[in-house]
Amino acid sequence: MAGKTGKQSRPRKAVSDKDEEEQPLQAVLIADSFNRRFFPVTKDQPRALLPLANVSMIDYTLEFLTSTGVQETFVFCCWMSSKIKEHLQKSKWCRPTSPNIVHIITSDLYRSLGDVLRDVDAKTLVRSDFLLVYGDVVSNIDVSQALQEHRQRRKMEKNVSVMTMIFKESSPGHKTRCEDDDIIVAMDSKSKRILHYQKAQALKRLQFPMNIFHSGSDEFEIRFDLLDCHISICSPQVAELFTDNFDYQTKNDFVRGILVNEEILGNQIHMHVTKDGYGARVSNLLMYDTISSDMIRRWIYPITPEANFADQEGQSCTHSRHNVYREPGVSLGHGSQMEENVLIGRNTVIGANCTISNTVIGANCVIGDNVTLERAYIWNRVHIANNVKVKQSVICDCVEVKHGVVLNDQCVLAYNVVVGPDITLQEGTVLSMHHPDEEDDEDDDEFLSDDNDVGYNKDKIKQKVFNPAEVGSEGKGYRWKSSSLDDTEEDELADGIWGLVLNPDPESDSESEVSEGSHDPGSHTASPELDDVKVFQNEVHGTLQRGLDENIGCDNLVLEINSLKYAYNISLKEVMQILMRVVLEFPFHQQGAQITTAQYSSHLLPLLKKWAPVFKNYVKRAQDQMDCLTSMEEVFLELDTHWAAMVKVLMSMYQLEILEEDVIMRWFSQGVTTDKSQQLRRNQGLLKFIQWLEEAEESSEGDE
Amino acid sequence: MELQAVLMAAGGGSRMMDLTYNTPKPLLPVGNRPLIWYPLNLLERVGFEEVIIITTKEVQKALSTDQRLKTDVKMRLDVVCIQEEADMGTADALRHIQQKIKTDIVVVSCDLITDVALHEVVDLFRAHNATLSMLMSKVHEFTETVPGQKGKKKGGEQRDFVGVDVTGKRLLFMANEADLEEGLVLRKSIMRKHPRMLIKTGLLDAHLYCLKRSVVDFLVHNKSVTSIRGELVPYLVRKQFSKSLNCQNATEDSEKNQKQQDAHNNLELLSTSKDDALLQLARDRSCWNDHRGDMSEAYHGGKLRCYVHIMEEGMCYRVNTLAAYIEANRVVPKLFEDPPIHPTAVVTDRSLVGSDSIIGPHCQILDKTSIKRSNIGTSTTIKEKVKIINSIIMNGVTIEEGCNIQGSVICNNAVIGRGADIKYCLVGSGQRMEPEAERTNEVIVGSDQLMEI
Repeated sequence: MAGKTGKQSRPRKAVSDKDEEEQPLQAVLIADSFNRRFFPVTKDQPRALLPLANVSMIDYTLEFLTSTGVQETFVFCCWMSSKIKEHLQKSKWCRPTSPNIVHIITSDLYRSLGDVLRDVDAKTLVRSDFLLVYGDVVSNIDVSQALQEHRQRRKMEKNVSVMTMIFKESSPGHKTRCEDDDIIVAMDSKSKRILHYQKAQALKRLQFPMNIFHSGSDEFEIRFDLLDCHISICSPQVAELFTDNFDYQTKNDFVRGILVNEEILGNQIHMHVTKDGYGARVSNLLMYDTISSDMIRRWIYPITPEANFADQEGQSCTHSRHNVYREPGVSLGHGSQMEENVLIGRNTVIGANCTISNTVIGANCVIGDNVTLERAYIWNRVHIANNVKVKQSVICDCVEVKHGVVLNDQCVLAYNVVVGPDITLQEGTVLSMHHPDEEDDEDDDEFLSDDNDVGYNKDKIKQKVFNPAEVGSEGKGYRWKSSSLDDTEEDELADGIWGLVLNPDPESDSESEVSEGSHDPGSHTASPELDDVKVFQNEVHGTLQRGLDENIGCDNLVLEINSLKYAYNISLKEVMQILMRVVLEFPFHQQGAQITTAQYSSHLLPLLKKWAPVFKNYVKRAQDQMDCLTSMEEVFLELDTHWAAMVKVLMSMYQLEILEEDVIMRWFSQGVTTDKSQQLRRNQGLLKFIQWLEEAEESSEGDE
Repeated sequence: MELQAVLMAAGGGSRMMDLTYNTPKPLLPVGNRPLIWYPLNLLERVGFEEVIIITTKEVQKALSTDQRLKTDVKMRLDVVCIQEEADMGTADALRHIQQKIKTDIVVVSCDLITDVALHEVVDLFRAHNATLSMLMSKVHEFTETVPGQKGKKKGGEQRDFVGVDVTGKRLLFMANEADLEEGLVLRKSIMRKHPRMLIKTGLLDAHLYCLKRSVVDFLVHNKSVTSIRGELVPYLVRKQFSKSLNCQNATEDSEKNQKQQDAHNNLELLSTSKDDALLQLARDRSCWNDHRGDMSEAYHGGKLRCYVHIMEEGMCYRVNTLAAYIEANRVVPKLFEDPPIHPTAVVTDRSLVGSDSIIGPHCQILDKTSIKRSNIGTSTTIKEKVKIINSIIMNGVTIEEGCNIQGSVICNNAVIGRGADIKYCLVGSGQRMEPEAERTNEVIVGSDQLMEI
């Protein structure tokens, strides 16, 4: 059965291609993810070689390319390139009979997709339109139709359309929908041209610039039901464009660049949506889980586990009812049940009374008695002792799980780890033989790729001891904390190996909806101009509230406030004043109006600290600081019971370097306008603070 | 009675003042019938027996005297007058007749000329138990030259952005380009419910709405809404996705309390008919769903729904500009089965009247006159050797001999002096063109009328 489907479809396509163009179809396959999402697993094995349903991911990609008619593939590797090379040389792709000639190009200098494509351009590898895919794409899409459309477009308007992206329909909430790629696309209905492409996971409102609707068409489509298959048909121009724009790193940069500069460069991107094909990229473990289960449930037909398309010896498995696949040599103990959707690799031994469902087990594993496996992905040579329970977890090669261990959802045991006995791992535990710190020690200079040197310091590891509380008394391995803050430099959001959590809380939407609902017809018909400031204030409050609830970074808050500023046409000065007011009144909204001064300041000060970057963004010149202070004064004049807190606010804003001392002094001495503000300045605490400031100033002058 | 029909005929026609200065918009002749006849006919065709007409005193008078309307329209006309000076919007007008409204309503504007199958709109309304359903059509390109208009007016018009779901029926978004300077903003929650949204720009709103009775009640409580198209419809479209309405069911008790407290409450928007429980039950028990792609219940639990029927073909004009008026006059006669020349008209044998022209009652057309592609109104006299091409001549006009009129609109009771040559002009009512005048592409109106503009 091996490779049968590929052979069937190939000749037909080759012929139709030849009719139009003599050039054989080429593909560029990037066998590196250029991120470290799969760390620590990818410390030992590059992502392209990780097994999915017991076959390396890169084999799926190559199979897809071959069956769609590609005759020449360039595989670009960087991280652990030797392993990939070795794998490919042994595989059927490098046999002389392979219809798809695979060239392996390795370099340690590739840091991004951009580097690879610049190299493609420099070496002039591609002659005509080519397919661009990652080494972790699993797909059965027939791209010939898209290719034809692409060529048609290129013929009609020479060199205008540079790329055709391939999408699969998948409505929000569908499990194959990757939350990292929560994209929204605006397109021209007739020409299928992409007008706007945006990742939307952190957004509540989707904004489309008006210029995209000026393209002369009168029908547009906004689609939120697409999954980017990460397969694109590119013209050779794409590589040139990457060379011309050396700041393009990712495909996202490229797409954004082309769309934004459409008027200048005149290049366009089109799209093709497949309804029944399957195409998805294993971009995190959640996707790994999904694609594996889709594979076993035969959604990617004709690529199925029993097809053994990779043509590896001993991998031909049998397929029986309820999607149970067995390779030769599997032995199943008495009373063990393989309920449904199970794939078991060759020579694996399973003990008695086990319950296995929705699980993939690799080759040469030994599994004890009374083991429950549910959505487990167990790779090769794993030993699992008796009475183990595993739920939705990944267990890499040569791991040993001792008896009585319970793995809760989304655990990862990387290579060679030993756990147990009798320990329960919390949800989301990641264990590895590599110490988490060794990464930080070495890779300061190489942050975008997972190709840092493996030659770590062995001694250092030896010094660090395994923590029995984390891995059990006989365990070996270190616990990896979910990486939260360290990879903010990446283009993608900070996120763990499992990717973002599915089903973001639907309730969070409702708040803004209610608030929007509260602008009843009355409020928006009466006179919107008058209310703008007020509405803006509410919006800023909402933004900050949400920022707090969802832990949105200050940069994004600034971005949102800026867009609100434009939306309501608010001057910069007003923004500052309103921001000040909103922040100062924030504790009242959160805690109610009746809180004491002490409570007030204890709530406010952490907030100030948190949002200091936001303030710094708006408060820059001395005049800004002055405005800020005046606004603060206004607020506190209304809150005469909380004057004591004002000193603390001033103090912390001074310490956060939002306000400078001269400005505070100037404000104190000049800003008096009414009796009440005079009164405010006589407040004991404030006087003390000013005195302290004066002294500090003198002493600092003295130092100089 | 399922639906009551309301015809809005009080508009002044502010976009074609030259035409409506002396003749109120509903009475403008289109194909020798008053404009108001067309929506009345539309309603009558589908079986309405009664219609509430909201209009001005002047129009009411004309309606009661117009013989042709009386014979043509069998429906009972319930005419409600509003003061012209009051400057009432369409929503104000609905509020005005709230007492008369007992059921859901169909609101039609008097300037609509269409051959739509009205049941399409009403069926959407019924099938989805919608709060609003409306009619739109593809915008027509006007081909004729418009008098007094230099060059083609293109691109100046602000487009409407209409967002519909993948079936093309559910109305999800509506905004005018003018309000979208900051770009088109959509809430993600809407996109999550309707992941595929079609945004159409080339659509004409026919100003035909089916509205739930509760919407009228809502208007009574929200006095600030003055116009249906400008405020009410966008509000309803937005309201479809607001939580406060949709989570209603759960908080029914508190809703009742609120209602007592606060009459201004917009919860009024939901009718609480006694069938609701049954309808809900039916929907729960049925496997029908309005969408696919996720597992949530039909309509995502939303209770307020807006639908739109978009005409793909057929005719749909709103006679609210001069260009539309001319276009409608050109197209409409083809729809009638009436003889093109009214039996009471006197047309001498030696004149030439093209089959694509219509001649109104009591006209007099003398020798050697040729009329092509034109509409001639009632009691018009056309003397010898006149050439009329592509023009609209209203009622009571006198055209002296030897005139040449091309692509023009001649309003009521105008007199064209002998030998005048008029091309692409609009001649206002009661104007007298001096003999041998030569005018091209002009709007000729009285000086008093000019002052006002």
